[in-house]
Amino acid sequence: MFKKILVANRGEIACRIIRACREMGIASVAVYSEADRAALHVQLADEAAGIGPAPAVDSYLNMDRIIETAQKRGAEAIHPGYGFLAENPEFARRCEKAGIVFIGPNSRALELVGDKIRARQTMEKAGIPIIPGMKSVAAGIVEYEAEARKIGYPVMVKASAGGGGKGMRIVCSEEELRAGIEGGQREAKSAFGDESVYLEKYIEDPRHVEFQVLADNHGHIVHLFERECSIQRRHQKIVEETPSQALTPELRLRMGETARKVLQVSGYNNAGTVEFLLDRNKNFYFLEVNARLQVEHPVTELTTGVDLVQQQVRIAAGETLSLKQEDLAQRGHAIECRIYAEDPSRNFLPSSGRILYLREPGGPGVRHDGGIYTGWEVPIYYDPILAKLIVWAETRESACARMAAALDDYVILGISTTIPFLKDVISHPRFREGATTTAFIKNHFENWKVKEVAEVGLTLALAAAALDDLSPSQKTGPAPGSKKEVYSPWQTIGRWRIGEKT
Amino acid sequence: MDFEFTVNGVFQAISLERKEDRVSIRHGDKTLEAEVRVISPNTISLLVEGRSYLVIIARDKHKKHIWLDGSAYLIQSGKEEQRRAERGDDRAQKGKSVVTAPMPGKVVKVCVAEKEAVRKNQTLAIVEAMKMENEIKSPLEGFVKKIHVSAGELVDSEKPLLELEPKV
Repeated sequence: MFKKILVANRGEIACRIIRACREMGIASVAVYSEADRAALHVQLADEAAGIGPAPAVDSYLNMDRIIETAQKRGAEAIHPGYGFLAENPEFARRCEKAGIVFIGPNSRALELVGDKIRARQTMEKAGIPIIPGMKSVAAGIVEYEAEARKIGYPVMVKASAGGGGKGMRIVCSEEELRAGIEGGQREAKSAFGDESVYLEKYIEDPRHVEFQVLADNHGHIVHLFERECSIQRRHQKIVEETPSQALTPELRLRMGETARKVLQVSGYNNAGTVEFLLDRNKNFYFLEVNARLQVEHPVTELTTGVDLVQQQVRIAAGETLSLKQEDLAQRGHAIECRIYAEDPSRNFLPSSGRILYLREPGGPGVRHDGGIYTGWEVPIYYDPILAKLIVWAETRESACARMAAALDDYVILGISTTIPFLKDVISHPRFREGATTTAFIKNHFENWKVKEVAEVGLTLALAAAALDDLSPSQKTGPAPGSKKEVYSPWQTIGRWRIGEKT
Repeated sequence: MDFEFTVNGVFQAISLERKEDRVSIRHGDKTLEAEVRVISPNTISLLVEGRSYLVIIARDKHKKHIWLDGSAYLIQSGKEEQRRAERGDDRAQKGKSVVTAPMPGKVVKVCVAEKEAVRKNQTLAIVEAMKMENEIKSPLEGFVKKIHVSAGELVDSEKPLLELEPKV
């Protein structure tokens, strides 16, 4: 087993990996950009090393600097987390060359599945169902137009190196095509450093169902069942759960076996996720392999009892999978809500700034994977994910109730977050029925606004604001909200001290 | 003792009076009695008719951020909000419209030129933050009077991107 691992990521996922290392008795090295010196992952790790300026291209995407740091610190392996270099075959190759273990798939498999177009070709050959669309990148707009006509509108622009919704656009007509392709290319370039995009038939109102798979270096492959990730905004998942309401045991078995086959034909090792679209008639299509640990991996962990990060590390160290397919089972129900630094009432506009107060929810079956703390300044440079709230309960119904209660207890002050929006999603009758498709947010939450609250809430909030003006922790002198500035407020009402009895 | 606040742009007056171990709260035509315990600089416990409310308070330069019973409130003191409104009036009187950055980020592209005519909802500029592109749309029909930023520039929230003149 490794003695030291460098974690080439930031935020909640870096914290998650560092915790796994600690439990396994492995020392961790955090890397950070200039914007992240005070970040939580730096605080948690055993060692930390600065790797450059704030923009990701100069730090978290700087392969030479990261490999050099691993060598200097004596780390035998690098865990890339998700995003950044996680699915970059060149990085995996460079690690392999430098004699450092890349905790993820081998570079050849990464290259194959990371190139969505080649992956589609390979899967089609292996008899795995795929969505109709282009099988190569077009040379120019004229060719894209011809391809789009052939596929038939609406089409989806997708980044060849893509994932996480970046670079994706739905195009409904030829007039929109040029703007869609250019926008997709620009976003793909900035997110992945590769601007190639291709077109696919856009399947309306599908469900997004993915299978978690683990493959060791000795040819053993198991799947750990599905995750349903249909609740998305901007093609980015925001709520995930398992088991999916749409799968029958028979369909689950078939999709799971297909997922294993996908890894097999790709020569894949380590953890991966096979994404499928499930249409209204329960036909499933291979979408892509996410060749990394997924953001939503905790729901699988809670229902299968398997620690996926520790499994990744063991597989990378050359161990044989101790899990057998026939021993794996799903128990209970798990839901994850992603807490983003975004304003859901302003079309999910990013919201950076200082977190003035954080209180994480707790209680039985509640897990919080976060990368934030009170006083942390959320930088503008990176993905807006702050934390993930995950619950487990015996049934879906109790998991929904548990999630609703946990969201109610969750306090983040200072920046806008998706928390109030998620509360409404979880309590929506259609969600409770399990009627989740990728159009759920669009159909039920267009122009969403925060609900008006009970008036007693406002009265008490105002009273608290007034009491706060009077509290000695505020600067002395007339209270800013007070009309009668000539009188000392203490004369009228008396000051409140911390811990004081009234 | 009387207090004036603005919550989500709505003016609110409230008055507190201390009565032995309680505080009496008057808000509009409603009166509540609460037992108050200040637990920390960020937390106050209120007991109202036996119901327990935890209030969490954080502050920045302009506002109090208050959480209570699962809801968050942004509360400004009355005076500051008035001044802000007056500043806004100044701007409106000059007959131009300033388009500002909705969040801190990087200008990826300015899509219009000075003197160019623009339609309502036309994309004026693209600002990227947290790896997402956000299109800044024109709030009105008119023409571009002045452009304050160029591609590649980092902007703060509320930073003027460009000025428009409405069509007359």
